[in-house]
Amino acid sequence: MFLALKDLAFAKGRFALMATVITLVAALIVILSGMVSGLVDQNISGLKAVRATHITFELDRVPSYTNSFVDREMWTAFEKAPGVAAATPLGNTIFNARVLQKETAITLTLWGVVPGTFMEPDVAEGAAFNSDPRGVIVSQDLVEKGVAIGDVIKLDRVLTELKVIGTAASRNLGHVPIVYAPMDLWQEATYGPPGGPAPGDELPKALRDYASVIALQLKPDADMAAINKLDEETGTTTLSRIDSYHAAPAYQEEVTSITAIKFFMIFVSALVVGAFFAVWTIQRTQEIGLVKALGATTSWLIRDALSQALILMLGSMAAGIAIGLSLGAWIATTRASFILVPEDVTRNMIFLLIAGMIGAALSIRRIGKVDPIIALGAER
Amino acid sequence: MSQVSKATGDIISGATRLSAKNLRLVLGDGDQTVTALNDVSLSIAAGEFVAVVGPSGSGKSSLLAVCGGLRSPTSGSVLIGGVDLTSLPERARTQLRSTKIGFVFQQSNLVSSLSAIDQLLLMVHVAGRSPTVADRDRARALLAGVGLDARRDRRPGQLSGGENQRVGIARALMNAPEILLVDEPTSMLDHNRGAEIVDLLARQTKEHSVGTLMVTHDPTMLGVASRVLQMDDGKFRAT
Repeated sequence: MFLALKDLAFAKGRFALMATVITLVAALIVILSGMVSGLVDQNISGLKAVRATHITFELDRVPSYTNSFVDREMWTAFEKAPGVAAATPLGNTIFNARVLQKETAITLTLWGVVPGTFMEPDVAEGAAFNSDPRGVIVSQDLVEKGVAIGDVIKLDRVLTELKVIGTAASRNLGHVPIVYAPMDLWQEATYGPPGGPAPGDELPKALRDYASVIALQLKPDADMAAINKLDEETGTTTLSRIDSYHAAPAYQEEVTSITAIKFFMIFVSALVVGAFFAVWTIQRTQEIGLVKALGATTSWLIRDALSQALILMLGSMAAGIAIGLSLGAWIATTRASFILVPEDVTRNMIFLLIAGMIGAALSIRRIGKVDPIIALGAER
Repeated sequence: MSQVSKATGDIISGATRLSAKNLRLVLGDGDQTVTALNDVSLSIAAGEFVAVVGPSGSGKSSLLAVCGGLRSPTSGSVLIGGVDLTSLPERARTQLRSTKIGFVFQQSNLVSSLSAIDQLLLMVHVAGRSPTVADRDRARALLAGVGLDARRDRRPGQLSGGENQRVGIARALMNAPEILLVDEPTSMLDHNRGAEIVDLLARQTKEHSVGTLMVTHDPTMLGVASRVLQMDDGKFRAT
């Protein structure tokens, strides 16, 4: 490590360039990790708050909150199944809407939940579901867009009117803020005729029999094999609540694309480190030949060079993490969400280190090919 | 121990530092072969300063490369401190270079990132040890011996060509080798500085009781040599 350290100190400029690249990549990985955790958390904050252990979807190749369609027969079957503590339908539809008197256009996820079940949201301000059949509870995100308790939201096209009676914390699905409505109101908005039934008419009874998914509370000792068998019989798919995040709009795409970005950055780092050490090793060829002629073995030189790469990587990564954390702390003070998952950062940093060291090792290998005879003048 | 040098007939005495016997080195393969060394034998005793002169292509650099274990001869043997270099595997030969052989190269063959004293301490690291206080003392004494103790913290870029060559000589002596192999030490220096360096080499050879083999193309640098061997076509010629 003697030569490694002396060279690091001597060729500061060149190494600083390399270190800057690794520092920036490490910082970017920390920031990306934090931002993607924040983004993903924001995407499915509604699902995170749900007190269900499992979600049952209509059997489909890819379970989806948007496309799923379940009927009363299904949720009755689950209500009665052994191992199920509670089962209740959940309606999920995205609407464009306007806030009356304010002319504010909004997009919302209308959730139909059965009042009195575990799906009823926690209310932050205002009232919970009450006797008002049009009363809804809105996500904090809509409050920030100007929706207030007492406002009337009119859904576009179906013209259903919702009365805001309470607010919940920030709750979204697919980044679209959730409005919690009583199931009957959701069914009217989703399946009923525009403007509701004609005066004096009732809505057809049949539309009370449909929802989007079934929220389950399974007992801790529930037999998953029995649940899967029930799935087969009823034509449904049951996922744990956490697995069901992947059925949220854009969730999978977000996770995949950010993971791809991170791995590409790590891969590029390996190439950059490899290219740097390739050039550095070639520049040092004369010196390597000299030190070999003086009696250094190839393994001594390779150990020395690898320790140099390791010092460079660890130093730059530490600087990058520090920068990433301070930038993250600053991002967290703005409206963007930034959530740092230490295991996630640690894992990515280990990948970065391994990738960088592989890149360096592949380039440093050529030390073995340098012939010490080049140290003699006549052989140059 | 005494023996007769084949090439010159001189009788030399004292401990033999280097003994090369019947060296042949054929370079290239197929039809394109060149005989760089053609049955060369040479013995150098402790304190002896042997100069080899000859035109380029005469084989004098090949002799240095083979005696230093940088190149394996086609046939023949090289004994340094009683060990036959040619019988050793590459790794052992490399390690033997660090302890038994001191190389002095052409000017500027120092590590550019190291100060003068670090050039010497590198030899300790290369030999697989961490420098001790005794090593540091020895390095300083060697630098003082070549008149550079005051400049021991300067890097090659901060020293003159002659000074760098002095550092090179001190470095070669750091691990107390059996022999010094010196490659064209004056080629990058003016005549006066060149002469100083060769004088220094001759003095250090006696003082440290090493055997020195110097290869040069400069016939004006031979005054202080114990023996001068003329090389031509891969053979020594009587001078």
